Amino acid sequence: MSAGSRIGGRRVLIIAALAIAVVIGYIATQTLQSSAVYYLTPTEAATRAIRVGQTARIGGQVVPGTLVYEPASRSLTFTLSDGVTKLPVVGSGAPPGLLREGAGAVVEGVFAADGTFRATQVIAKHDEVYTAPTGSIPPAHQTPAP
Amino acid sequence: MIDSIARPTAAIRARPVLGAASVVALFVALWMALIWSPPDAAMGNVVRILYVHVANAWLAYLAFVVVFLASIAYLWTKRPAFDAIAVASAEIGVLFTGLTLVLGSIWAKPTWGVWWSWEPRVVTTAVMFAMYVGYLLLRNLSNDLERRATRAAVLGIVLVVDVPIVHLSVTWMNALHQLPTVLRPDLSPTLDPRMLASLVAMTIAFTIVYAYLMTARVDIERRRQARIIEARA
Repeated sequence: MSAGSRIGGRRVLIIAALAIAVVIGYIATQTLQSSAVYYLTPTEAATRAIRVGQTARIGGQVVPGTLVYEPASRSLTFTLSDGVTKLPVVGSGAPPGLLREGAGAVVEGVFAADGTFRATQVIAKHDEVYTAPTGSIPPAHQTPAP
Repeated sequence: MIDSIARPTAAIRARPVLGAASVVALFVALWMALIWSPPDAAMGNVVRILYVHVANAWLAYLAFVVVFLASIAYLWTKRPAFDAIAVASAEIGVLFTGLTLVLGSIWAKPTWGVWWSWEPRVVTTAVMFAMYVGYLLLRNLSNDLERRATRAAVLGIVLVVDVPIVHLSVTWMNALHQLPTVLRPDLSPTLDPRMLASLVAMTIAFTIVYAYLMTARVDIERRRQARIIEARA
């Protein structure tokens, strides 16, 4: 093989590798954008008619005024909302430090027969805003409903 | 074909300077991140993990983009120096991707409330870690310098596709990771100016550390290449 054709072969390799990268990138982005789901919103969960006892992951905003934690019984209740559908959540154990009313949360668990969501795991979601504490004024850490 | 092996290059002469600059930049950035910048209104002092976690992730991105560029340059020119740059950068990238995952986990427990969740950016970052470990393993399948470098270069070009996927995953899907704070479409970072300055300082410091590690690791690889070529001759 001459030096010239070897160089040509390497250029073909570069083009082939770039083409593979573009194809993989295209397929991955299309699939991830259209069908990969980390959590359902309460509305999506309602339309999918998830069976009682089936594991699901639901995300939304903690409705202000609904977050109650009783340290004695370790019972944790709050309502998740996406602005349209509200979902009452029953969990147990201390809530994560960043679980706030008006902020985002993701819960894993099952739907109970009475329509409540029994969370085995409560995860707090932090938004992209970071601010210094400003005395008595509470920070505007509000996660918009998905 | 074999150029300037084991000849001290400008990069190697710059190594002590880069080492000293790394130490100074890291101390300045640490002081800014730990003492000068304010705590976060919601997270408190836990927010200070941000500076290292994000700088780690930046370095992983940078390292894998360098692997990509060096891989193209190797296939284009067939110079072993570019293969040395690719392997050095891939090893550093794997190290910092691993550190990103570990620090992210440590940050997740006090904020999200869990050590780990298979959310989009965590998944794509874990995939990136596994793929570049695979890249390093592939390099050991052949002792033939040229064959090894060519195979690795093709993979080094293909794998870079995960870097933008990791970065954009949070905008495609609902995720636990927050949306971009600094690189936003409206170009107005949503964090305290002192926090932003600390993050920029830490990112610069980590980039100098990367340059220092690269000069050391590339030098080692060039010596290895020279030994293999000597043994063959």
